[in-house]
Amino acid sequence: MGNPNVRKAAMATLVAMLASLATGPAVAGTYDLVIDTVTVDHSGTPKQAIAYNGQTPGPTLRFKEGEEVTINVTNRLSESTSIHWHGLILPPDQDGVPGISFPGIAPGETFTYRFPIVQSGTYWFHSHSGMQEQDGAYGSIVIEPKDREPFKFDREHVVVLSDSHDHSGHRILSNLKKMSDYYNRQQRTVGDFLRDVEEKGLSATVQDRLDWGEMRMMATDVADVQGYTLLVNGKNPEQNWTGLFTPGERVRLRFINASAMTYFDVRIPGLDLLVVQADGNNVQPVKVDEFRIAVAETYDVIVRPTEDRAYTIFAETMSRAGYARATLAPQDGMQAEVPTLRAPDRLTMADMGMAHEGMDHASMGHGSMAGMDHSNMAGMDHSKMAGMDHSKMAMGDKPDPFYAPGSGLTPKPADGGKFLSYADLRAQKPLYPDREATREIELRLTGNMERYIWSINGVKYSDAEPIRLRYGERVRFKFVNETMMTHPMHLHGMWSILDTGKGKWDPVKHVVSVAPGMTVYTETEVDAPGQWAFHCHLMYHMATGMFRKVIVEGGPQSAALPN
Amino acid sequence: MKLRALLSLVLAGGTIAGASAALAGGMHSGGHGHASLDFGKPAKAADAGRTVTVVMRDNLFEPENIAVKAGETVRFVLRNEGAFVHEFNIGTAAMHAAHQKEMMMMVEHGALEPDRINRERMKMDMGGGMTMEHDDPNSVLLEPGESAEIVWTFTTAAELEFACNVPGHYDAGMVGTLSVRPKNGDKTS
Repeated sequence: MGNPNVRKAAMATLVAMLASLATGPAVAGTYDLVIDTVTVDHSGTPKQAIAYNGQTPGPTLRFKEGEEVTINVTNRLSESTSIHWHGLILPPDQDGVPGISFPGIAPGETFTYRFPIVQSGTYWFHSHSGMQEQDGAYGSIVIEPKDREPFKFDREHVVVLSDSHDHSGHRILSNLKKMSDYYNRQQRTVGDFLRDVEEKGLSATVQDRLDWGEMRMMATDVADVQGYTLLVNGKNPEQNWTGLFTPGERVRLRFINASAMTYFDVRIPGLDLLVVQADGNNVQPVKVDEFRIAVAETYDVIVRPTEDRAYTIFAETMSRAGYARATLAPQDGMQAEVPTLRAPDRLTMADMGMAHEGMDHASMGHGSMAGMDHSNMAGMDHSKMAGMDHSKMAMGDKPDPFYAPGSGLTPKPADGGKFLSYADLRAQKPLYPDREATREIELRLTGNMERYIWSINGVKYSDAEPIRLRYGERVRFKFVNETMMTHPMHLHGMWSILDTGKGKWDPVKHVVSVAPGMTVYTETEVDAPGQWAFHCHLMYHMATGMFRKVIVEGGPQSAALPN
Repeated sequence: MKLRALLSLVLAGGTIAGASAALAGGMHSGGHGHASLDFGKPAKAADAGRTVTVVMRDNLFEPENIAVKAGETVRFVLRNEGAFVHEFNIGTAAMHAAHQKEMMMMVEHGALEPDRINRERMKMDMGGGMTMEHDDPNSVLLEPGESAEIVWTFTTAAELEFACNVPGHYDAGMVGTLSVRPKNGDKTS
């Protein structure tokens, strides 16, 4: 009955076909990115920006989970560049950090990245060289999952938030180094002083100003760089980027904060926001009215506009220096009312860690702190803290546990309702089994604002030893923020499981924002051998030293570096 | 407490017919067992003309559309094949919206965890004899892997929804249409 060899061959083919059906065909995609300068006009003053394939933000790279990607990056700048695939789990030599993953991409060179896509969700990419990201070198990544998602949507838009400055990133950094308050436009004036005297009395006001002077910081230091034009998908508020919808549709908005320095408080008046994903990982759906997005975070939000009208996406900066604005509408050209900017928040003594007992003043990294006496402290507690309790606690009985009690930065929903807290994020599908951490590493976030040096444990990157981790351990990082800035901490190569006290439901992130005066814990399953970057994602904090190299020792041999 | 105030409001309203939304929502309210609703009432399995199986996943139903006729008695077989607690609740969109607030309360009071139902805590006296027990005949709440049945007689034509009112699930799309068509010969209302 036929040739047995043919039959055997046919059987082998059939088996191979079945096998390929079972695993699915291996998808492989090749992508090309050319980095070059372009002229843009965000503020009325045309400037040179850095772009991918002629645009900033760069194109949205759409990958599939399980795909093997090849990305050719050609550098047409006159300086070295790099691309870091923010949030992607990949081999260490593909991570794109010059000096840690690879030497960088020289002018005129094409570097080819190759790595498997082992996850899904919303991510982004950006240059990890110099200040190029501030100058426009960023774009979005959308990865389609293998399995169906635990939520429905009919349409999606990528919403890239960013901050554009008339000055180049290099010039901003050099100005900050010369004068740390160069860009602070909200400094308190004699008028403020007189008003405070009237409200609080002369001695309390004088004491308050003395305290701030001692701290070498200012109460208006919510953001250290101002003068930004805030953008949505490269459009300023007047240019009004518009995303279309048909009334009744579920619209998935993939928010990415690609800013160099700017946190945003985001709301869409008239619409509930169903948060379904944070930093690319699904979370158990939670309905809110507003959310804060730290630099480098992503949030996926589903809205369901039912009316045949426009809605404003309103993203105020955390410092209230400005806003990004865009529109969701049934057709182009429709607009909705644009809310007015809220008054800026003032930092309080709680943001200096003063509300916490047992604080080691000398550890704040400001030379003068050690000399501060306790009579000053008492003055602060009485003049500032009492007033805070009334104004801040009025928002409800559950203040956000990720802000110091009485913090001037505690988020408050503009239109009432619910403001998303990290405490509301619960993993939809935990990536790792919950277990005890094997050890704890304390990282004090430190800085000297007036000299514009940012550091970890009082040591800046250039003077620091790497953090050594062992493959297979579960490390608990204790972040103690001893500065008055909010720091979005980003570990490359491995996930950060944010301790919200929910055990196995603790959310899995790539950026964890640590507010002033706060201690926040994350845990990392050390499962990626090699060298990785670990830093504050505020561009000028990273550039001045709030950065560490992490070396994961042991474990399977990582791919040999090609260079 | 806020909760107590809300519950006593529901309880007070329970004496008038207008509170059927709250009653039908799923929270047991002091002695009512088998309240009949505008659109139908619980029935015995023996009376069911057919069986409809609905599978619950994270976060969706299969199937998502069900059509029945007024007068028909249907046996619903419900299986939770997801990793989270899910509900199957027959009602109007307004009833679901009301019930979602109650379910949020159950979460806030620890009676409902993502993948577990704390049945002991549901029996807790919330004041005035109110409990958070979830035993209305038009709904079931299932842990992962659990199954249950509901037998329901649809009395009049209506556009209903079957929904999961666990916080976030309805908005994520865990809702289906349940269309009750008029009886043969009846006028469409």
